[in-house]
Amino acid sequence: MSVNNIITNDNERCNFALIGLYEVDDPEVGLNVVDLGLIYQLDFDSEEKKLDALMTLTTQFCPMGESIQSNVTQSLSNAFPDWQINVNLTFEPPWDFSKISPEGREFLGH
Amino acid sequence: MFSPLMGGLQKTTDYRVVLPFYIYASVSFVVATILLLLHTDIVESNYFYSYTLAITHTMALGWGTMIIFGASHQLLPVLVEGKLDSNTLAYLTFGFAAVGIPILIVSFYIFHFGWLLQTGAILVNIAIIFYIINVFLSSFKSKKRNVHAWFIITASLWLFSTTFFGLLLVFNFTKNILPNNSVSYLSIHAHMGLVGWFLLMVIGVGSRLIPMFLISKYTNDKTLWKIFWLVNISLISFIVFKTLELSTLYYYISILLAFIAVLLFADHCLKAKKVRIRKNVDEQMKTSLLSILQMILPLIVLIITLIFLPTKQHDNIILLYGFCILFGWITAIILGMTFKTLPFIVWNKVYHKKAYTGKTPAPKELFNEKVYKLMLIMYIAGFVLFIFGTIFLISLIVKIAAVALLFAAVLYVTNTSKVLLHKPKKL
Repeated sequence: MSVNNIITNDNERCNFALIGLYEVDDPEVGLNVVDLGLIYQLDFDSEEKKLDALMTLTTQFCPMGESIQSNVTQSLSNAFPDWQINVNLTFEPPWDFSKISPEGREFLGH
Repeated sequence: MFSPLMGGLQKTTDYRVVLPFYIYASVSFVVATILLLLHTDIVESNYFYSYTLAITHTMALGWGTMIIFGASHQLLPVLVEGKLDSNTLAYLTFGFAAVGIPILIVSFYIFHFGWLLQTGAILVNIAIIFYIINVFLSSFKSKKRNVHAWFIITASLWLFSTTFFGLLLVFNFTKNILPNNSVSYLSIHAHMGLVGWFLLMVIGVGSRLIPMFLISKYTNDKTLWKIFWLVNISLISFIVFKTLELSTLYYYISILLAFIAVLLFADHCLKAKKVRIRKNVDEQMKTSLLSILQMILPLIVLIITLIFLPTKQHDNIILLYGFCILFGWITAIILGMTFKTLPFIVWNKVYHKKAYTGKTPAPKELFNEKVYKLMLIMYIAGFVLFIFGTIFLISLIVKIAAVALLFAAVLYVTNTSKVLLHKPKKL
């Protein structure tokens, strides 16, 4: 299953998570992490109340990387207050233009 | 399909390490432009003149080097793909440089070539030794050493060569420790700093930051290695030709190599710009890209000096060469990159621990864009007028140019202060 190109095992919870994630911007680009395509995967374990998120950054050398990761974690914690949240980073596959949503592309002038 | 990153993100450098360098550099820029305004007559004097030496070292050390120190301590993790080895070494670098540089400048200003100048030169050298140790430890503890890391390692070695040679020249004024008098070595000393330190550093850092800030995926290590060797061979060949006192015709070889290197770097940046993901290029990036074009200007001035002015004394053109470098591309790239890097540093400081308590301002909102644009207009006007006034030796135009540059420096300080004093908005 996927929502906005995000691989997930729970569409409903994923949609709920996205409400908050749309508010988390990459400060340099000025675009939210969802439209930018930085969120790769959201895995919900409702029995263990555990959420594993996998995300990337526009570049491995992003000076704001820690802050963006921290903001994503906080946003997911706000959405699922009594859940254990793990946000991991990956650069495989690397982020590229194809990951950006049509709305994001429009925002970036394409 | 996805493999989580092992070892986590690279750590950013503590802002307390970096910000003093930025503040010091800002003040130095204002001091340099005040000195320039007070002593515009330098355009009609020999380059070995107390005020020229004072302004040159204020710009090269107080402005250019201090801000590069600050930025490189911040960016070293990005460049070497590791982390800054020691905050203490960074503080020591700042402490010794902060004391040594003004002593050196005052010595030049009052033309005191004895113990005062020697003290300043020793302190600056100690600062640079601490800096080099930090760069080396940070680089060699990192598992990978990419082309950018080699640029910064080599540039820091050239910096030490410059200042150590400068120290020898300083002592050579009072005791004959070199075969010739110190003035005859000044061009070697200057080019080690301008080409070995500034050019290598700007290309090494710029080749990573410019694509990054343009949100461009373009990279070409092969070209960057070519540039790396071209710049180094250009500089080494010049030092050899000059030391062997060969005909000035040989200098064209060095100039040609540097020219090709600059063209390749410009081409690298333009290619990065072409495939950028974000179409809008902000003013800071436009200034940085302008600075790359400005790199060609001093090379043209140098060729003119060698071709058309071989026999007569044309000190104003020699001074113009130095001006086009220090007040030209070095200043332009600093003006642009300051307002790309400093807002990030302060943003991380202010908002990092306020993660997701609502929308935070973008880093670009930390400075005033109108003030930035006005600064840029003043800078470009001052730069162009100074060139015109220096070529035709029109003192009024040089004076107006110096006023414009002083305004640019004041506006720069105004905007950096706004960023540095930024307080979190109520979220």
